Amino acid sequence: MVGSFGPIVIAIAIATAFGLLPLFLSGLIIPKMPDRVKNAPYECGVETIGPTSIQFHTRYYLYALLFVIFDVEAVFLFPWAVAYRHLGLFALTEVVIFIGLLLVGYVYAWRKGALQWV
Amino acid sequence: MNVAILSPEISLGAAAAVILLAEAFSAGNLSRVAILALATLGIAVSAAFLIPAQLAGVPTSSFSGAFIQNGFTIYFKLLMLMATFLVLLGSGRFLAQAEGRRAELVALVLLTTAALMLLVSSTELITLYISLEMASLSTAFLAAWMKHQERSAEAGLKFFLLNALSSAVLLYGIALLYGITGQTQLNGIARELVGGATPALLLALALLLAGFGFKVSAVPFHMWTPDVYEGAPTPITAYLSVASKAAGFAVIVRVLQTALPGVQTEWVGLIAILAAVTMTVGNIVAMVQTNIKRMLAYSTIAQAGYILVGVAAGTGQGLGAVLFYLAAYTATNLGAFIAIVEIADRTGSERTSDFAGLHARAPWLAFALAISLLSLAGLPPLAGFFAKIYVFWAAIQTGLGWLVLLGVLNSAISLFYYAQVIHHMYMVPAPSPAPGRSLPTLVAGLTVAIAGVFALGIFSGFFMGLAETAARTLTQ
Amino acid sequence: MSNNAWLIAALPLGAFALIALGARRSPALSAWLTILAIGLGGALSLQVLREIAAGARIEQSMEWLPLGHGLGLTVGFQVDPLTAIMLVVVTSVSLLVQIYSLGYMHGDNGYSRYYAAMSLFTFSMLGLVLANSLLTMYIFWELVGLCSYLLIGHWHERPEASAAAKKAFIVTRLGDFGFLLGILFLYWHAGTLEFRGLEEAAAAGRIPAAALTVGMLLVFCGAVGKSAQFPLHVWLPDAMEGPTPVSALIHAATMVVAGVYLMARTFPLLEHSATAMMVVAVVGGFTAIFAASMGIVANDIKRVLAYSTVSQLGYMIMAIGLGAMSAGMFHLFNHAFFKALLFLCAGSLIHLMDTNDLSAMGGLRRQRPITFIATTIAALSLAGIFPLSGFWSKDEILAAAASTNPLLFAAALATVFLTATYMFRLIFLAFLGNPRGQTHDHPEPLSMTIPLLVLIVPSVASGLLGTALFGNPFGSFLEGRAVTAEVNLPVAGISTAVALAGILLAWVLYGDGRVEASARLAARFQPVHTLLVNRYYMDHLYNGFVARIVLGFGWLSNRIDLSLIDAFVNGIGSTTISAATSMRRMQSGQLQAYAWAFFAGTVALAVVAALPLLMGTR
Repeated sequence: MVGSFGPIVIAIAIATAFGLLPLFLSGLIIPKMPDRVKNAPYECGVETIGPTSIQFHTRYYLYALLFVIFDVEAVFLFPWAVAYRHLGLFALTEVVIFIGLLLVGYVYAWRKGALQWV
Repeated sequence: MNVAILSPEISLGAAAAVILLAEAFSAGNLSRVAILALATLGIAVSAAFLIPAQLAGVPTSSFSGAFIQNGFTIYFKLLMLMATFLVLLGSGRFLAQAEGRRAELVALVLLTTAALMLLVSSTELITLYISLEMASLSTAFLAAWMKHQERSAEAGLKFFLLNALSSAVLLYGIALLYGITGQTQLNGIARELVGGATPALLLALALLLAGFGFKVSAVPFHMWTPDVYEGAPTPITAYLSVASKAAGFAVIVRVLQTALPGVQTEWVGLIAILAAVTMTVGNIVAMVQTNIKRMLAYSTIAQAGYILVGVAAGTGQGLGAVLFYLAAYTATNLGAFIAIVEIADRTGSERTSDFAGLHARAPWLAFALAISLLSLAGLPPLAGFFAKIYVFWAAIQTGLGWLVLLGVLNSAISLFYYAQVIHHMYMVPAPSPAPGRSLPTLVAGLTVAIAGVFALGIFSGFFMGLAETAARTLTQ
Repeated sequence: MSNNAWLIAALPLGAFALIALGARRSPALSAWLTILAIGLGGALSLQVLREIAAGARIEQSMEWLPLGHGLGLTVGFQVDPLTAIMLVVVTSVSLLVQIYSLGYMHGDNGYSRYYAAMSLFTFSMLGLVLANSLLTMYIFWELVGLCSYLLIGHWHERPEASAAAKKAFIVTRLGDFGFLLGILFLYWHAGTLEFRGLEEAAAAGRIPAAALTVGMLLVFCGAVGKSAQFPLHVWLPDAMEGPTPVSALIHAATMVVAGVYLMARTFPLLEHSATAMMVVAVVGGFTAIFAASMGIVANDIKRVLAYSTVSQLGYMIMAIGLGAMSAGMFHLFNHAFFKALLFLCAGSLIHLMDTNDLSAMGGLRRQRPITFIATTIAALSLAGIFPLSGFWSKDEILAAAASTNPLLFAAALATVFLTATYMFRLIFLAFLGNPRGQTHDHPEPLSMTIPLLVLIVPSVASGLLGTALFGNPFGSFLEGRAVTAEVNLPVAGISTAVALAGILLAWVLYGDGRVEASARLAARFQPVHTLLVNRYYMDHLYNGFVARIVLGFGWLSNRIDLSLIDAFVNGIGSTTISAATSMRRMQSGQLQAYAWAFFAGTVALAVVAALPLLMGTR
């Protein structure tokens, strides 16, 4: 058992040490002189004005979701389109069904008013 | 490639699509009865594809052996179709009030059932995983369905996140199994596993059990159950507690029996421990619940523990007992939940103490709930009694006497909290009359469930015969 | 038809379901549903009887609790001559009693409830008769007990009625406990509970002789309780608190004979154990004379009949114990009709007088001539006067006793004498002399008179079925082969003379309705009378037992309970609750906590899985 898993364990150990050791060492030797600017979340750039948690309208998410759905649909369609000649009628039927199903969802969302910007 | 084998699932999906389209083109006021009729048609067509294939018939498979149809899958699919049908019937006023969105709900329930049916039939790990995710995703939506109620939204989110965690663990287990054997086909894995237990295999086993344990809410992977059951709409809780759970057990049994018979000693021990912890924790915590849905949530956890006893037995007889138990449990739990849907609807409360004097206010509901609870407690001649007898008997024969003893003790404890509800309903005087009459569909659903509780008990020999026939096809 | 004999039992069940589901709102509909169901059942029973007579035998059963390895329990039904006879008896008496109840129970508040319970009872009784295994029988056995409880307590607002109902339930339950032990015991040894299987096991000697004796004696306990045999007879006289038609059907003709039927059904097993046979015969014989003696002094008309029933049941049990199973069944058959008739006659008098007290009756022959004639015929039949039905079956039993056991023969003869005396005391006090009480001035409804007239026919003639005159069709049918019946002339002569002497004594003492004779006799035979009136102090004994021993035991166990068990149970209770509370606290609702629990569980599972490897056991 140790024979096959040993190298992995050793690799994990070395990787961990490689990451932690420099941090530890630098922590030992560097001088610590904190001031206000150093403690700020961002050392450079413009200070934020007002509260950071602004409400976005849910419509944005809805649109984003719908976009992703049809984006992914396209991702599925490309490989099929490339290999269309080899795949034949069966694949064509499948793709029609696939698009049909998405169409059902699309129609439903449309009719329910999901695409209206209120 | 035999696509027709998917007909039962396709029918359900088609029904869901038709319902959505009908809703879309009826300007958002498709009536409850119309939706139910369409759903029932889908379920009926689906069942019509299943019924001609005999329980003992020749297994057929398709998609390079990733999908199989045999007595085992037919048994489970019919059970889940029945459960879906009863849940929809029993959803009562909940569906009637959900103006404009009920089509979505029914369509989602049908799609979930289709996913669970795919799950039951998968004999290959990737197919199995995809079906599981498909079912879980729609379950999360269903749990969060009352989106304006904090509890429901919380239930949906909790289920979604914890389910993601459990899926990750499960996937890790699947990856390990693939790494060890180079196979994703369940019987292929069994072929490759000849050397007995190795550390990696045991880790894979533990991860798989943790993932599946989440689905059937075995302790300690049960934490989501009470919160989600309480927050989700009651009909959905009923659905989760029977259909999802049945599918979960079907998968556990299939994976353990077909892919991992080589490490049977190991998994029998693990399952036995899970069973012991699950039934004990479920029963003990159920005792101090004041909300009936939370109480029933813990009760379903405890019931999962009893079923795991049958899984641990591991023999053909144990398998048959598990299948019978699931049928008995489905009828009984649906009876209880449908009654609660209506009672809570009429009294506006889910607190056990508010069920006082129900027998005078709504005699049939009180009777149905009492019968269901007594069956859950395992009193003769109801279905639950025989289910326990078969499971415990199978376990005794494989030398799990200690587990059975614990199970019997647990049954005695469980009587305490089940009887408390009955006591409230029958002995404590009613504070005020409950208004309203039940919808006929709900009464019909409830009656079918209670008839099932009696029939499965009184003719347990016949149904046990069916279950054993179905179980036998799994290991063939 | 025999293939579907279960339908006969299903019909009254259907009637019960319909009444419970809604027909109860209309009392008349409830009553007619019951009557229709039982009437149909009766017609089917006759058809079954014909088919069985033609040689058909049916047994069907289904797996009820398969446990694998050839073990398991079945439920089912069978039809053989014994069953067919019982089917006819139960349905015919039940039908007549239901018709009679139309008038008797008219205007009762619980009319629908009464008919619902009667339907349920008839279903249970038919199920009991059709059962093909001890288990199936036991289920229905308990059901008839439940129905009996419901019906004795029909007028539950009367404290005596509910007390009597409880007493009947508890006392018979004592016997049932023995029965259940017997069932388990026989299952342990034979591995089956089907009668056929048990018979085969006993015949093949697969059940050890001692085990068979113990098992059958335990089963007999059930019969002792249900058929009110000594010492569990105390419930039956009290059960007379129920409506009179109930007494006629349940506590005379059908349910109480279930014990006799049980012994007849298990007779092929009983035969193999001489000891058990002896015990059965002695208990039966003793009960016969014991109960008859109490009938002599009872003043409640229904109690007289109740003691008579106990006594006659003792007769039947004795016959079976003596090996004369078919004689016992023959007596059961005849008794069902004439005893039901007697009860219905008593009901007719009670309906007229609103009292059960014999000393308040008198001279009723003028108001109720039909009742008078019917009672007299039934009483003569019961007393065993040639050629009425009781004569033939009683004679068979007496002949069996005479040839095997002189002591039991003497007891049986004494019972004949006592039976004749108390029956004619009843008749003289109720019907002769001058009226002593107020009567209602209303005519009897036809629905009550017709059943009386119908029942006269079998009371006179049913015995002829078992006579040599007609080639003993009853015996041949029951045994399934040609059996000849012989009248044992000396025995018949002696018993008839004894019965006539009993009637003569009753005439000398009570002729012309001399009710004051009771008081005179009571004074003359003070000690005996006190003993009899107090029912041999059996009820006192039981009450004393309950009061002293049980209470003493209760006190003791209460002490133990308080000090030991309570502390223990409370300990368990509070431990469980506190465990539950702490576990509930884990259910914080926080997602992170749940995720941690999930992770911890997974790790624990992995560790447990790897434990054997870590421990190096593998």
